[in-house]
Amino acid sequence: MPRELSTAIVELARDDVPAMIERKLDAGEDPLAILAECREGMTRVGERFQAGDYYLAELLLSAEIFKAAVARLAPHLPDTDGDRPVGKVILATMRGDIHDLGKNILATLLRAHAFEVHDLGVNVEPAELVEKVREIRPEFVGLSVLITTAFRSMQEACRLLEEAGLRDSLRLMIGGGVTTPELEEWVGADFQTQDAAAGVAYCVERVGEA
Amino acid sequence: MNTMKETMTPDERLWAAIRLERPDRVPVLPGLLPEPAATLSGVSQAQIAGNIETAVNAVFRVFDAYGGWENPYPASYTPLQLQASGIFPLPMRIPGVDLADDVPYQLEEVELLVPEDYETLAELGFERFYYDDFLWRIGNLERDELPGVQTAMARGGGLFLQECAKRETRPFFLASSLHPFFMLSLMRSMVRFTEDLYYAPEPVERAIERMTADLIATQLDFAKQSGIDIWLLTEERASCFFFPPVVFERFWWPYTRRIVEAFWAEGIVTLFHLDTSWDKNLPYFKELPRGSAILELDGNTDIIAAKELLRGHLCLKGDVPAALLSIGKVEEVEAYCHKLIDQVGSGGGFILSSGCSVPANVRPENFRALIETGKRHASS
Repeated sequence: MPRELSTAIVELARDDVPAMIERKLDAGEDPLAILAECREGMTRVGERFQAGDYYLAELLLSAEIFKAAVARLAPHLPDTDGDRPVGKVILATMRGDIHDLGKNILATLLRAHAFEVHDLGVNVEPAELVEKVREIRPEFVGLSVLITTAFRSMQEACRLLEEAGLRDSLRLMIGGGVTTPELEEWVGADFQTQDAAAGVAYCVERVGEA
Repeated sequence: MNTMKETMTPDERLWAAIRLERPDRVPVLPGLLPEPAATLSGVSQAQIAGNIETAVNAVFRVFDAYGGWENPYPASYTPLQLQASGIFPLPMRIPGVDLADDVPYQLEEVELLVPEDYETLAELGFERFYYDDFLWRIGNLERDELPGVQTAMARGGGLFLQECAKRETRPFFLASSLHPFFMLSLMRSMVRFTEDLYYAPEPVERAIERMTADLIATQLDFAKQSGIDIWLLTEERASCFFFPPVVFERFWWPYTRRIVEAFWAEGIVTLFHLDTSWDKNLPYFKELPRGSAILELDGNTDIIAAKELLRGHLCLKGDVPAALLSIGKVEEVEAYCHKLIDQVGSGGGFILSSGCSVPANVRPENFRALIETGKRHASS
């Protein structure tokens, strides 16, 4: 029995996945169904991570495989409702910090779970974040941080969201190696983690409630 | 407050802890680098990034203003000097140049090392590869600027030693290096390096092998010349926070053990700077010779569990978290330090310190609380 596409992703078979997708497309399979298989693979990778069988390295590798799969499938995917996102997320590293490794991992994992992700990049001004929230109306905002000099701009972003009347309509997440539960409270966030997979789990669990 | 009369010199106290004996009180040794020193002494990040004398003077102004501690960290650098000396082999954004004046310098991780470079590194060694080729890919420095930057760094080093001598102290260490594994990860970028480890591991292994040999040759020689029997080895990516044990066991631990044993054979102790959680990796460190290393933890490793595991075998250092120092209250810092002194410092083998380095936006009152709690609170 041939190996399933989702299993190839779980096994991190980077060189096999593109050929499997190609064969499926050639056979006339629905690109949305192929994408769903890829997402299933990512879900299983996440489960292995939560169980402690996989590490961040394997999350990274699977995310790269998934990105390449989506790029290959993109020309075949419909523009509209067929792949409607389950939710919208804005991600940013705030003013004072230019690090983006954790944010980029989270973005890829969220996309693999069918979220629409708007990545504002690094060194982002709080006012810019607020404008984007006003425009996109996301269910989640995630602020990534590696160095403490961005703490104040994270807190400022939360305050500006409140002043703009936008704070109650979303869940604010913070993540990164220097974050702590105390920082979550200080910033005024709803969730804190050092673990990208936990961030994804939070979004998946809460998306219907936001 | 539980206090104890000092009966040891700073050097005796530090070495008692390293040798796993009981000092008169815990040694206090925060990782104060120029970036927090700028904040604490009222100069900007741009000023210390642009002038080596300003950086060194900021460190010693803080050392004096807060009553001093066991030994100052070697902090005679500007960011570009760290790049020019190969300590941080990647692009930088500099305050006052690419960043606002009040933001510390930052490293920009981009994919500058390509797969073919592993073989070149293995053949030429790090130093020749870096100065013939890689440094110029980074783009912050032009070739004709290098001698001037190196001269300024040497001048800063001299000034640092003079300031130490004035205070009858000496740097905590002088020789230092990133671990080859960490260095390659930075030069190649985290994602690409991870792919290389999984899909094309042999060239990586050959590069690490050569870099390990080079590191031992150059840094051991430097450490011996410095007359300081401690040297710093930094690793922020090899732990089980990132990689499974199988990667750690193949690409990190054998080389690390070789490095530590080479230095220990000359009586030199390796100070590990270990960021992220090392909880699952701690048992490996029991394989190192007793007293041959210090583990500097950043608050993400369970230091209490580390103490249980490594009690009487290796000295621990840490681990007041950066977030606590930058947004916490004084009483919270004091309580955290008390807990460390009582639970990790009990019986010796512990140095009280910041987790990682002191953050650039440390609150002055929190920094003082760390220093003074360490000096005044005897372990229970």
